[in-house]
Amino acid sequence: MKNSIFLASAFLALTLSACSQDTNEQTAEETEQLLTSDWQTIADSATGQQVNMYMWGGSDNINRYIDEWVAPRLKKDHDVELNRVPMNDSQDIINQLVDEKFAGKSNGSMDIIWINGENFKTAKDNDLLWGSFSGQLPNFNDFIDKDAPEIANDFGEPVEGLEAPWGKAQFVFVHDEKKSQNPPKSMDELAEWVQENPGQFTYPALPDFTGSAFVRHVLYETTGGYEQYQQPAESISDLEKRLEPMWDYLNSIEPYLWRDGETYPESLAKQDQLYASGEIAITMSYDPALAASEVLKGRFPDSTRTFVLDGGTLSNTHFLSIPFNSSARAGAMVAINEMMSPEAQTAKLSPENWGDLSAIDLNLLSSEQQQAMNAVELGEATLSLAELENNRLPELSSDYIEIIEKGWLQHVAKE
Amino acid sequence: MKPQLFIKISLSLLVFLLMFLPFIPLILSSLSFGWQWPAIIPDSISFRAWDYVLFGSSGTWQAVGVSLLIALIVTIINILLAVPAANALVRNSFRGKWLMEAIIFAPIIIPPFVAVMGIHLTFLKLGLTETIVGVVLAHLSPTLPYMVRAIMISYQTLSVDWEDQARMLGAGPVSRFTLVVLPHLLPGIVAGASLSILISLSQYLITFIIGSGQVVTLSILLFPFISGGDPAIASAYSLLFAGMAIMTLFGLDVLLKKYYQQKKAVTNKG
Repeated sequence: MKNSIFLASAFLALTLSACSQDTNEQTAEETEQLLTSDWQTIADSATGQQVNMYMWGGSDNINRYIDEWVAPRLKKDHDVELNRVPMNDSQDIINQLVDEKFAGKSNGSMDIIWINGENFKTAKDNDLLWGSFSGQLPNFNDFIDKDAPEIANDFGEPVEGLEAPWGKAQFVFVHDEKKSQNPPKSMDELAEWVQENPGQFTYPALPDFTGSAFVRHVLYETTGGYEQYQQPAESISDLEKRLEPMWDYLNSIEPYLWRDGETYPESLAKQDQLYASGEIAITMSYDPALAASEVLKGRFPDSTRTFVLDGGTLSNTHFLSIPFNSSARAGAMVAINEMMSPEAQTAKLSPENWGDLSAIDLNLLSSEQQQAMNAVELGEATLSLAELENNRLPELSSDYIEIIEKGWLQHVAKE
Repeated sequence: MKPQLFIKISLSLLVFLLMFLPFIPLILSSLSFGWQWPAIIPDSISFRAWDYVLFGSSGTWQAVGVSLLIALIVTIINILLAVPAANALVRNSFRGKWLMEAIIFAPIIIPPFVAVMGIHLTFLKLGLTETIVGVVLAHLSPTLPYMVRAIMISYQTLSVDWEDQARMLGAGPVSRFTLVVLPHLLPGIVAGASLSILISLSQYLITFIIGSGQVVTLSILLFPFISGGDPAIASAYSLLFAGMAIMTLFGLDVLLKKYYQQKKAVTNKG
């Protein structure tokens, strides 16, 4: 036994020494050059780098797209190794970076992070992002409509080149065609629909991301359009009064919701489970192709379809960014550029890979590239790109979202 | 059939059922394709989840290896720390003993979330984040109390007289410990080790924050699927996780039995 204790401590010492870090730190000068030098120099210095991409890891489709489609191509064409790191929540990434910034860690392991909205705003406010890099990427310059509001702003926050667009999402409602032939296409119709079909509708409790987005649709439709909210929240003096019709609407449908509105699903995942098991007839998603991919997985019934409101639904863009202390910035730029290429974006659009809407502007593509993208089979459950595009509403900035999420607890959940 | 045998068989069947019943829905859900209410079993089967977990690019096997490596190192360090600690706490009475006990057992009561934020900042400054060493050190705090507790109970039934007797017979401190104390402590050590391994394997938050995504254990892979709502893959991962834990405990049991057999053989010879 004495021997084995000795052996154990020897083994421990060995493991500990094997785990010591090796990092290739770049000097500040070199990294600043990356923001000004030409693309060939960047691509050259990226060769052989390992790039860690921190992203939400809860979907096998998305994981496989990165591991099996993107990573091998990057390795082959650019000798850049892409290592996906699974996260549970993008907020965790930001928390980590805040701590790293506080402790002064300069050789971080996050090279690419996948963020948008509130996470981006927090990161920007705390100087957690590296710099204005997106203008250096050839695919950004060639295929992205830089002036489009959904590219230049992220939930109302100016992007300023700190992140590069990767894809777009649009809010859709999901229903079973066999169970409800005429789904409600406006909030007024929805109010009638829930009275006729009590217990068949609900939405995830705020601050769930999708539940919160649903309530924003109610806001737009019951208070007279989105245009009035395209300014900072504090500049509207009678905001509370303006929000009242929204709370009234939500309280008026509450008795007809699932479980008489006494409770709400705590997350979209729970609500999807209710839909998948047939307890409710309508669910929702901020990913227009999610329903199609759930049908492919056998979780949602074959007769699942999606629809948007006649007045349009919210859409947003999600972005890739490089943190302030990335150790492989050149590699990260090359990887992000590749993920924005028409080929990668076309592959991403296919529900078999992921089904995420492309961030690039169709009009800037060559006719073959356009054809390739239009030829992608989106699945019966997904609406056509044109129908989605014609029914897009802009997002609210995050100060409104905070007010709405707090107000919902006070006005709807508690009453 | 003898009534005793009948009772024995039906009892073991009952235990077997109770143990494996919870796994049945997990197995079904991991294989399900289109499992809708009110069907009790899925109408068709798909190996998508298992294909992803076992063969895909998911890095599952490496994560299992890292999980076990961390649990093993944590448990070895725990034994080295807990035996002297338990010895001191059971056999000596000294000023401030209650305070020492309180400090050692505090991690059971205080949620790890509170401590791990401070640990993260300190480890960042020391360069211990993103390393297995850092994760191992962070896993010590929630596991050590259970190890100390288990070994303390063993110590409470070990009278100092036994060691005194061995000393009178001429045994030095090392042989007194290996021949008298350790065999008596062994059941306690094994109980503590089982707990320490299980708790270390199931740590998500501590591993995630200290490892910062660079130390990928099975719980790191499993968690996004459980909260992200892919029941099939979450079930497959949960089964794999349970399998890993059961195999480890089983291995520990086999080792213990082997040790007792050997000891028996030695005493019989002597």
